[in-house]
Parts: sequence; C-alpha cells; structure tokens
Amino acid sequence: MVTTLTTPQTNTWVDVFATKKGAVYQSDAERCWYVDFAGKVARFDYRCLLKLKKAVYNVDIEAKLLETTKDPDVEIIFICACDHTYILTLLQIIALKEILEGTFVMLQLNQILQDRLYRIAV
Amino acid sequence: MKDLIRIRSLISAQVETLLNQQVKKEAYSSSVYLAMASWCNRNGFDFSSDYFFKQAEEEREHQLKFYKYILDMGGNAISPDVSGIKQEYNSFREVFEDALDQEVSVTQSIKNIYAQCLKEQDYVTNEFLNWFLKEQREEEYKARRALELFEVIGEEGTGRWEIDKHVGKIKYDSEA
Repeated sequence: MVTTLTTPQTNTWVDVFATKKGAVYQSDAERCWYVDFAGKVARFDYRCLLKLKKAVYNVDIEAKLLETTKDPDVEIIFICACDHTYILTLLQIIALKEILEGTFVMLQLNQILQDRLYRIAV
Repeated sequence: MKDLIRIRSLISAQVETLLNQQVKKEAYSSSVYLAMASWCNRNGFDFSSDYFFKQAEEEREHQLKFYKYILDMGGNAISPDVSGIKQEYNSFREVFEDALDQEVSVTQSIKNIYAQCLKEQDYVTNEFLNWFLKEQREEEYKARRALELFEVIGEEGTGRWEIDKHVGKIKYDSEA
C-alpha cells in the first residue's frame, strides 16, 4: 500500500531530524518513519529507510558537480521493493543527504539513550 | 521515541556489511578449492583432489553459518556474486601455496570483524565468531602442514606421488 501524505501528522509522530528543506518523523505505533521531502510525506519501514540511505549516499555528488555534459542535472532515486521514487536535482540530493545523515545520527543517539536509561542495569 | 532499529536487528549495519563480505569470502574460498580439486584430479593427484573437495564443502558450510546468523539476527543476508576463480596452476606446490594464502586471508578477515564487534561491544557476534577462530586454527594448520610435506619429502623422483598420498592423511586433533 502506498502511503503518501501531504502534511505531517505531528501529533502522533516524533521529530527525528529536520532542516529547512525537509524532515524525518518516527511513528512508534506504526514502527516506521515518514520522510517529508520534495513536496510529499512518504512512509518508510526499516529496510526501505536503509535502502534510501544507501541510494542517496551512493550518488557521487562531486563527480556530478564536475560533469560538463549538457544532460539534465537530475537524479532518480529508485528503491527496489519500496513504494517511493524520488526525482531530484543535485541540490535536492545534497539536502536529502543532509537530512538522512542527521536522522541516522539521531537514531544512533536514541539507541545510546535507550541503552543508558532503560536497558543497562545501573 | 522507540529504538526501532535495535528492535529490528541485533547487529549494527556495519557488522552486517562485514558479515556479508565474509559470506562472499567463504563462497569464494569454496569455489577456489573446487578449482583446486579439479586441477589436482586432472593432474593425477587424486588424494589431494579429494582433500580439496572436502575443503570446498567445509567452506560452503561456513558460508551458510554466516548467512543464517545474519538472517537470525534480523539482518539482510546477501547471496554473493563469485567470479574470477583461478583455474590453472603452474605446479602442484603452487596449489598448496595458494590454499595457505586463502586460509590466512580468511583468518585476517574474521579477526577484523571480531575487532569491529569489540569496538561496538557486540559480544553476541563475538561469541558467534569464536567457533570460526577455532576452526581457522585447524584450517591454517592443515594448509601449512601440506606445504611442509614438500619440504620434508621433496618433489624429486616419486616425491609428488608420496606427498599426494600424505595430504589425504593430514589431521588436526588438538583438544586445546
């Protein structure tokens, strides 16, 4: 089922990371994340979020910047077995990468906090 | 906020990548041993051929152990592409030299995963890897012993025939 919303449901979601260009929210109830970027809010489960990260990180931004061909400056982020596809310009790729980097740092921080607060016997 | 990543998987993304690389390495080893078995068979070294067939089987078992562990821990096990297997050898001795190189490389690679797990305090995976570390003692011993036979028996005269006969008898039964 494709879940694409236009506005984030901030009352039930938790902010993970946000920049001026977009944001990532977590839904504990649905055990998934919502990525608010490029005019849509797309739902990603654990596997798909990792695939999105890999696809975005694999874009060689430097090579694209140095490219002198007249091809349009557009990258298609297609994720296998996932409902969403992004067609992004290079600037959008940089913005999405920034959001994802921040997101994974926050998720890692959350893991450390959970470990310290609830999981490890003092 | 729930820790959704940890709920889904016991191993970190980095350890998962390393374990998948190891799956590939073991698959590659298995194919290399199969090529060695073929070369030995074609050149009349039947005992060595049997020895390498057995080694190929073992490497395949190791591959599956890693593969299943990744899946059991909630990770994504990737079936590897294996290509570029050397099919021809210049000498009987070169086969065993390559076999030892292969085992050394597997040991180093497992040590590298172990180091990463220690860094992340992933003791669960370390415990899993202990079996492989012990196994590598045997694998390296056998490969080293086979090469040693070339020194103690010598390749002259019926030397290679003698070496081939002894390769099939190499055993490692240390209880330590």
